[in-house]
Amino acid sequence: MVHVSGVIASVAFRNFKALRNTSLKLSPFNLVIGANGSGKTSLIQALQQLRALAKLPLGDPATVTRVGGSEISFAFDAPHLGVTARLGCVDDAVCDLLRVDSANWADWEDVKVRLATMRSYVFDHAAMAAPAPRDSGARLAGDGSNLAAVLARWQRETPAAFDRLQAELTRWLPEFTGIVLPEDAGGMVRLGLKIGDAEGPVMADNLSQGVFYVLGILVLSFDPAPPAVVCIEEIDRGIHPRMLREVRDALYRLSYPAAMGETRAPVQVIATTHSPYLLDLFREHPEEIVITQKHGHEAHFERLADRADAAELLREGSLGDMWFSGILGGVPEES
Amino acid sequence: MKIAFLSESPADEAVLRILVEGALKEKPTVASAGYRARGWPNVLQVLPAVIRHLHFNTDVDTLVVTGDSDDSPVHTAAHEAPQYFHPHCRMCQLRAVFRQTGKRFPAAHGRLRVRRVVGVAVPALEAWLLCGVEDSVNEAAWTEGQARGVLPYTRAELKLRVYRTERPSLPHEIACAVREAERHRRDLRRLEYDFPGFAALLRDLREPIPEIS
Repeated sequence: MVHVSGVIASVAFRNFKALRNTSLKLSPFNLVIGANGSGKTSLIQALQQLRALAKLPLGDPATVTRVGGSEISFAFDAPHLGVTARLGCVDDAVCDLLRVDSANWADWEDVKVRLATMRSYVFDHAAMAAPAPRDSGARLAGDGSNLAAVLARWQRETPAAFDRLQAELTRWLPEFTGIVLPEDAGGMVRLGLKIGDAEGPVMADNLSQGVFYVLGILVLSFDPAPPAVVCIEEIDRGIHPRMLREVRDALYRLSYPAAMGETRAPVQVIATTHSPYLLDLFREHPEEIVITQKHGHEAHFERLADRADAAELLREGSLGDMWFSGILGGVPEES
Repeated sequence: MKIAFLSESPADEAVLRILVEGALKEKPTVASAGYRARGWPNVLQVLPAVIRHLHFNTDVDTLVVTGDSDDSPVHTAAHEAPQYFHPHCRMCQLRAVFRQTGKRFPAAHGRLRVRRVVGVAVPALEAWLLCGVEDSVNEAAWTEGQARGVLPYTRAELKLRVYRTERPSLPHEIACAVREAERHRRDLRRLEYDFPGFAALLRDLREPIPEIS
């Protein structure tokens, strides 16, 4: 097996929300499952905090130390193995200190550049359906609200990427035959989809929620200049279970581009889901499954492949059914 | 003849359609919806409902079902004895579901019951796809490996050999699978000889559709 490295090698938490004392080694692709409030979103928030603080100049190491409080530590993948970053947090929500240790500061500068591209997404279909200013399409917004502008920009500036996305969309949703992006006099772009032989397109107001989520995933998957790290919450939301294989493939296109015939650098993906059907699709790659286990007010991470009985579990049935049953953990506590 | 397929993925269904067409030497009418199971044991869970639905709600006369054997015991000639049932053999399990589900159904839509066509790929469908390309891949080699405790290959290795990647996209998986299935379509004898789990499917397909006497 060819080893593909990500960007962030590991994250360790101390007293951050429910993550009191736990760590997680990150792979190029990570599917995080678990009960509500078990720390899935906290993991993504920690990465966002790192991205935000990494933009700022580093302070004096002697002064960026806080006794007590929350702390989140990061290690990085090759070629930045010597770099570590530690966030100090005022409370559960705000981290304001960053301490970096590196034998070679050029490595940290390189890590910073990659972290700056990191993006987190929680798609909002209502926002995605709204018209977007023509010039707002440089990068898909966290809620997908500038979807129309991003697509219009691709159509103008990177038509090959636009054509690939459009071809994939019409393969996933064969009732549609293409994308239209009319622009009004005020420079607002609207999104519509052509449908069969119908005279006019179906405009965004009349498209189903799932169509927007599909488009959001495809924009991430076919981005000609993707970020180094992408975090996506509830990746299965609004999408038919039979189409989850396509969703998985779209995410793999990011993390394992060579497997899909792409020549660009891999993107590290951290996705969350509550779908047992999506989980079923990772039977052959249990190393990509992270389970957040919550007991009382404390949660920790566990990789499925690290379980001593992982091989037996994989032989005995579907992962989704085993997750629901409670065998894998990652289920809500009952009173 | 009107056929329905119960399979794990569009790629599996594409392969089965080609192999069945090759066996019949004609293109049968296929029920519009491809029925899906989410792997084993889900296929056993949904199969009774699929049989019942096809029997009462459609004019489908043949249901083709396949499963991967994975690490389960391989179906052997001994399992074919009357009244024999191996509780862990997937062929025996699938046949038992057909037997038990349909035995009390009244005739419907002009046939006595939906014809059973069951195959089990040992250890996975990709082995069928490699048949004739890699001589070492066959059901006997797997069965012997199981007996010795040293398997000749893993399912992951078979997939890698067929798709040339550990993570094929669905279109790529379908394209590779169809290419290999088309190779078999012209002459199924090697597949039938090397994989008794496929030969069993062909035998079922040659049985007449159960008609009202």
